[in-house]
Amino acid sequence: MTKQQANWSPYDNNGGSCVAIAGADYCVIAADTRMSTGYNILTRDYSKICKLADKCVMASSGFQADVRALQKQLAARHLIYQHQHNKQMSCPAMAQLLSNTLYYKRFFPYYSFNVLGGLDNEGKGCVFTYDAVGSYEKVGYSSQGSGSTLIMPFLDNQLKSPSPLLLPAQDAVTPLVEAEAIDLVKTVFASASERDIYTVRRQTRTCYHKCSWYPPGIHGT
Amino acid sequence: MSIFEYNGSALVAMVGKNCFAIASDRRLGVQLQTIATDFQRISKIHDRLFLGLSGLATDAQTLYQRLVFRHKLYQLREERDMKPETFASLVSAILYEKRFGPYFCQPVIAGLGDEDKPFICTMDSIGAKELAKDFVVAGTASESLYGACESMFKENMEPEELFETVSQALLASVDRDCLSGWGGHVYVVTPTEVKERILKGRMD
Repeated sequence: MTKQQANWSPYDNNGGSCVAIAGADYCVIAADTRMSTGYNILTRDYSKICKLADKCVMASSGFQADVRALQKQLAARHLIYQHQHNKQMSCPAMAQLLSNTLYYKRFFPYYSFNVLGGLDNEGKGCVFTYDAVGSYEKVGYSSQGSGSTLIMPFLDNQLKSPSPLLLPAQDAVTPLVEAEAIDLVKTVFASASERDIYTVRRQTRTCYHKCSWYPPGIHGT
Repeated sequence: MSIFEYNGSALVAMVGKNCFAIASDRRLGVQLQTIATDFQRISKIHDRLFLGLSGLATDAQTLYQRLVFRHKLYQLREERDMKPETFASLVSAILYEKRFGPYFCQPVIAGLGDEDKPFICTMDSIGAKELAKDFVVAGTASESLYGACESMFKENMEPEELFETVSQALLASVDRDCLSGWGGHVYVVTPTEVKERILKGRMD
């Protein structure tokens, strides 16, 4: 007699794609606005981006209930940090916190594929990319979610980032200017939406700039 | 691991102005190990018709041999080459014959039809044809290829520009797929000539 298996899963995949691109003095973070379950659309107007700190924003695809719980958890820890240190968390600090928070639930993970973006303490763009259990890396650009396999090769080709194989190691940020990066993000969502049913062309997009940082807003295309 | 991912492959065909391009990677692997870096995935059926076969390499070879046999018979009977549309239907029929024990291949067919009109199509392993006006992709790198081609494709490209576009799309896509790569093979076919070029990309 074979063991009875559960046919109820605590997880669901709400689909969607996120992208972040870092430049010398800016960072662009974008995520599409569709939330789906199976072949159905739950809403056409959902923001997968969350502002964690002054200069740090997270875009997450995957299971949005887990994403929401994760955002709450990080917001609470950030508040405690602000009480204890009398300042906002920097982007690299938040990156480490996110990693630890994800690994804390290593054996019942947050089904959340995250991309963190913002400016570091020097005003340079930084992007961190994660898997569901907290493995993370500082990169020049990244995409996560259902459209990521469609998006990444095109970003590799267009962003002209320095090769990670060069010595001495060079910063991975793209030499492109902010307007070019934003254009690229729009193109990338247009292309991904053509071939991925879970991704739509419309995105929420946040741009951080060193000189005059824009408060995060919703920019449709 | 899926049987379609056993050997690893990347195939793309793209339509241009009175021409087409068909390109593949060059890796033949056995799961994680690379066995050959000069594997031919694209074969000529006749001067204006090319066939690429992704998926399990042994099935690709067998299928290719059967199709060449059938085409040679056709040439003897009809005293002419097969049109691409006809050949696509032949491939579809042969694949569906094995409906309940299929060939583990996904073919990409590209040819010049009547009046030099380019024709491309792909099908699944049991012969469901998918005709496209712009490009078709197949193999383990197919998702990456969809993204790259969708962003880079333009209508009515001349042969030289088409070659550049296909090459960039192929190399960018296989660089994100562990099971395909080790260079590229690109055929650009116009009514007057066939240009075969080998690409050097990341050799990993």
